[in-house]
Amino acid sequence: MASKQPQEPVIGDGSLHVGDRVVYPNQGICRITGVSVKQIAGRDWEVVTLRREEDGATVMVPRGKVMGIGLRKVADIDAIDKVFDLLAAPGNDPQLDWKIRHRENADLMSGGGLFGTVAVLKSLHALSRVRPLPQKERELYDNARHLLVGEIAAAMNIPLHVAEDNLDYALWPPPGMKRKGQVLPPATLGPPAPVVRAAEEEIGLEEDEEEAAPPPPVAAEEEEEEGEEKAAPAPPPHAPKAETPRAKAKPARHPRPAPHPAKKAKPAAKKPAAKKAPPKKAPKKKAAAKKAAAKKTKGKR
Amino acid sequence: MIRLVTLSEFPPDVIDFIARRVHAAYGMGCEFEGEGEMPSGALDEEQSAYNAVKVVEEIDDDVALYADDKILYLTREPLTAPEGPMGRGPVDGYAQYGGGKAVITSHGLGEKGLPPLEVGLAKRAAHYVGHLWDLHHCFDPRCAMHPGWSPGFAAYPDVALCLFDREKSERKIKLGST
Repeated sequence: MASKQPQEPVIGDGSLHVGDRVVYPNQGICRITGVSVKQIAGRDWEVVTLRREEDGATVMVPRGKVMGIGLRKVADIDAIDKVFDLLAAPGNDPQLDWKIRHRENADLMSGGGLFGTVAVLKSLHALSRVRPLPQKERELYDNARHLLVGEIAAAMNIPLHVAEDNLDYALWPPPGMKRKGQVLPPATLGPPAPVVRAAEEEIGLEEDEEEAAPPPPVAAEEEEEEGEEKAAPAPPPHAPKAETPRAKAKPARHPRPAPHPAKKAKPAAKKPAAKKAPPKKAPKKKAAAKKAAAKKTKGKR
Repeated sequence: MIRLVTLSEFPPDVIDFIARRVHAAYGMGCEFEGEGEMPSGALDEEQSAYNAVKVVEEIDDDVALYADDKILYLTREPLTAPEGPMGRGPVDGYAQYGGGKAVITSHGLGEKGLPPLEVGLAKRAAHYVGHLWDLHHCFDPRCAMHPGWSPGFAAYPDVALCLFDREKSERKIKLGST
């Protein structure tokens, strides 16, 4: 009788094998170490065990959910080349409706594969140049960047730092940077085009502004004049430059309409006082009436 | 603790300035550890610049690292990095992501369009220490993690992290083993 060779377990759609380097959208670059059966909550689960390359942590995924979570092989060099073509290409206007943006980005991150991650990074990068990213999207931007840097480094066998620098040579091209013979427009300080800003104002972003994180320092001057103190950028510990626009803005405001603030200030000061006064008096009267009533009853007794 | 090791001569006040700025950015102790030498094997093929990756890997020093200590090497020599998918770009340093060693250069600082030596070097130091704590590049031009070749580097010379990066670095430092 011929001896049977141990069959390799089928993982996902069959394209993944033990020992493969894979990308796990929520974890980063991992290596498949095996398939085993674990007893969890009294039930046997067949799990795929992964080892996260970043820190050596063990990650276990139920075998049936491997494809659902977006686990995939690390991209090849041709795909990475296309990624850089996409990154270096001029971007579209960012999606300004945060609900649509959130849904699209979540779908792209979990099921969009490598190019989905690139699309998320690129769209959030474009958005960050127009307006500040809310905290959640800032985290998403960082996650997308982390995944992409890890995958580029793994695919090209280069250090993570070199991978990230190259990624930013495409997103923030230094002067003279070329991609396939074409010189890329060098990165500028501030939004790329004022047209985008105008479109943003027309559409209105009331919903978005609630969860808006600090504004990009680039566009600070105009926004700060509007008095959006909440949206002030992450205050750098020692940032005289950041304070200068405010310092400049104040003298510009005050000399012109000197009498107006005083006029406006008076009614503003009176109103709260007038509102506060009645409730204070009312309880006193009531208390006095109660005391009088109590005295009367006492007297009667 | 962040330890500074010089591979070229730097005035003591510049080192002191860098140590204070890095300490302010990360809330970690930062001190001058000593001097070292650039590994000759790290020179690139044209012998005009040092390969930053090789410098960090091949450097031979006596600095002892404890737990989450980080070493930052400072040099005046020009640095290069291995060619990537975008070709060769400007290189002002190299860091082992989430690791313990980084090297930065003062090459080019003080020239047209770039901040003076101590300010520029302090910002680069904070940037590369950030990489050692797993921070990625940031789109905020005032943040120290903004790419060093972009116009924001010269426009905002203050050494400061944006709120997101500051919180992330604090989380990483708290989770550290020291």
